[in-house]
Amino acid sequence: MSEEAKKNFAGALTARPNSDEPKPAPVPAVPPKKVIIKSADMIPDMQKEAVDIAVAAFEKYNVEKDVAEQIKKEFDKRHGPTWHCIVGRNFGSYVTHETNHFVYFYLDQKAVLLFKSG
Amino acid sequence: MEEAEKELERRSKFLNSLIQKKKKGIEQHEHESFKVHVRACDMPLPLQNRALQCARLHLESMPPGNKLDNKRLALALKKEFDSSYGPAWHCIVGTSFGSYVTHSVGGFLYFSIDKVYILLFKTAVEPLDH
Repeated sequence: MSEEAKKNFAGALTARPNSDEPKPAPVPAVPPKKVIIKSADMIPDMQKEAVDIAVAAFEKYNVEKDVAEQIKKEFDKRHGPTWHCIVGRNFGSYVTHETNHFVYFYLDQKAVLLFKSG
Repeated sequence: MEEAEKELERRSKFLNSLIQKKKKGIEQHEHESFKVHVRACDMPLPLQNRALQCARLHLESMPPGNKLDNKRLALALKKEFDSSYGPAWHCIVGTSFGSYVTHSVGGFLYFSIDKVYILLFKTAVEPLDH
């Protein structure tokens, strides 16, 4: 009788650790940002470049002005001065740009206006 | 009779006081509804005043309660400055945006009027090759 009791107790002990073992939660993948080209007078390769630079800038900075700065400076460097960039949730614009150097697109809820002038 | 005159005089003063207060209130309200704040500037004063005036007139001409059309105001300002001070001017209007631009000397103004922010700047125009 006493031996049987011991055996049952031991069995219970061995079973418990398994049930208590925590399962690691899977790391959720970051969904890609939705890109919508609203208006463009720019060759496709340059458009893609603008979007890629903007995506990287949004990952790096939180302030819209910093994002705009990153994009403008990168384009000044790669494609020569002078570029201008506006980033935000709510704005309208009217600008004059050089031919083939204008793009206006959305990254999720943020709009990006990039153009060359001067 | 004398007491009656005093009473009338007192009432008259009180009414005038009320009228004055009301007038002040109205003026204050009108002033507050289009409060202007220059936030950054590299522009001669006459041009600044021109921009502020243009923006104010545009807002005032809108029917009460109507939502501002950012693009329309941007166009109005750009057109006025292109025609008055030569090309090329650029204008951004909105309630939420950041920017990074390069402008000509003396051609930059960033101000707010009511709840709207306005960026107006000029860039040099390169002559077309013949």
